[in-house]
Amino acid sequence: MLDQTVSELVKLKRKLYIELVSLACQDKLVEAEKLIYQLIREDTPRYRCCQHKERAILRERIKLALGFDIEDNIPIARLTELVDQEPLDEDIITILNMACDSCPIDKYIVTDSCRNCAAHRCLNACPKDAIYIISNKAYIDQDKCIECSRCKDVCPFGAINENVRPCVKACATGAISSDANRQATIDKDICVNCGHCIRGCPFGAIGDKNRIIQVTNSLLNPDQNTVAMLAPSFPGQFGYNVDSATLKTALKIMGFNQVIEVAEGADKVMQAEAEEVLELKDKGANLMTSSCCPAFTELINKNYPEFTENISTLTSPMEVTAAKIKKENPEAKTVFIGPCLAKKSEAARHKTVDEVLTFEELLCMIVGWEINLEKLSPIEEFNDPISDEARSFPASGGVTAAIRSELSESDKSWINFEIASGLKKCSQFLKTYKPDNKFSFLEGMGCEEGCIGGPGRIINTKIAKKMVEKFIKSQKNNKSQKVKQIAEL
Amino acid sequence: MSDNRIQVEICIGTPCFLMGGQSLIEELEWLPYKYRSKFSFQASHCIDDHCENAPVIKVKDRVFENVTPEKLKNILDQYLTREVL
Repeated sequence: MLDQTVSELVKLKRKLYIELVSLACQDKLVEAEKLIYQLIREDTPRYRCCQHKERAILRERIKLALGFDIEDNIPIARLTELVDQEPLDEDIITILNMACDSCPIDKYIVTDSCRNCAAHRCLNACPKDAIYIISNKAYIDQDKCIECSRCKDVCPFGAINENVRPCVKACATGAISSDANRQATIDKDICVNCGHCIRGCPFGAIGDKNRIIQVTNSLLNPDQNTVAMLAPSFPGQFGYNVDSATLKTALKIMGFNQVIEVAEGADKVMQAEAEEVLELKDKGANLMTSSCCPAFTELINKNYPEFTENISTLTSPMEVTAAKIKKENPEAKTVFIGPCLAKKSEAARHKTVDEVLTFEELLCMIVGWEINLEKLSPIEEFNDPISDEARSFPASGGVTAAIRSELSESDKSWINFEIASGLKKCSQFLKTYKPDNKFSFLEGMGCEEGCIGGPGRIINTKIAKKMVEKFIKSQKNNKSQKVKQIAEL
Repeated sequence: MSDNRIQVEICIGTPCFLMGGQSLIEELEWLPYKYRSKFSFQASHCIDDHCENAPVIKVKDRVFENVTPEKLKNILDQYLTREVL
């Protein structure tokens, strides 16, 4: 449960989002800079050396919240005017260098297992001469150490211990390392924008660019048609008692013209994906992977390019749904709302979806709009004819189950279904995969437990799973009731 | 169970939910019996306009702001010990 505890740093970030949206709603966004002094005062809790540093970091957070790079050296008041011209960017994860504590965790420490052996391989391996022998034991001068791991690798006693920083630990791709000053850096050629490092860093030193203000402005513009696309993992994320109809009502109050379930696109994807499986098998291929998770497909594209050909050629449910909306209404602005950060990158790459919000960001917007979902009475229920399988996509194994439901018993018998949830498990599968004579289908998900474990989630993953199931059941009731009504007529 | 228990309201209105009210509700499941036998917990939609300092709980007539799962236990403990004395 601990991972769900909202830390003071997360609260500060959420408060900032709420205040920014609130200012935008009052057409006072130009005053955004005052939030720095409003949110960080003498009496607010302190996490850094002084309030000035705290404020400087918040200033960078405001830039990110407006969708800009922290390097953009433009006054915030000016940025608030430029906000609508700023395009969606593919790189969304940034290290806030000022907030990075350059974790003084000594990455390599000599333990008591050191026997001061005659070989002194550690001493010889160190490229920086950072190792000395002091009182019969090797000692690492941490000021000289560049964390290259050579001493650890060569020690015959395994006496050198490796401590891993939280950001590095959270990153399954190995994109985060420390530079010469021990500041965290992200290798953009490896990073898949999954966003897990943001939750990993206990100093709140990793931020993401977001689009709350762009979406808010679009909603406030009466001439702009804005469509909300809700990812299938939404049930429960906005309050345990908040049902789908209440959420839909709130979105309509905020100015979304239409609220659409992305599960609708998932329905089409699963049919086409099952057909593709059969097609590939006939062509004699050995492996096909799912394509709906952008963190997973990027993991392959960037880190395992030999498998690029094996990714399903289908676009994700998000894009299928957006394409349908655009076809009906080319002027509409499509806003995907989900638990995912990598979807922001995907949207920027493919340009079918205009904006992406996480559940966390949307809930901040709802609060900024001064809507209390618990007090709202629902007006409009979802009643789209969507299959239960498509609505089950967000939990690990959901995509596989959906594809299985599309295949005949004999087709299923020659397919090896594999499920990997979490980038670590995906990497493991790809590293160890050897083609055999049975055709394999891999469901690859960037987050543990699937999308419901995404970094933009609000509630506990286990509860989220139950809430998705509950929503599916409630929709089933609606459907059977409708059938009854029709029969009675 | 006789209901001489102390009333505790936990706000799950949207501002409180966003600021960690959900983790308070989750915490309830893990509370030892000694708390559950002395307190009765209820969810509230909004407690007296304290949204600025969410999440908020109310024990009897007193409102506590910025509550975390750790603080929740401390607050309840205060009431427990007072009763014992």
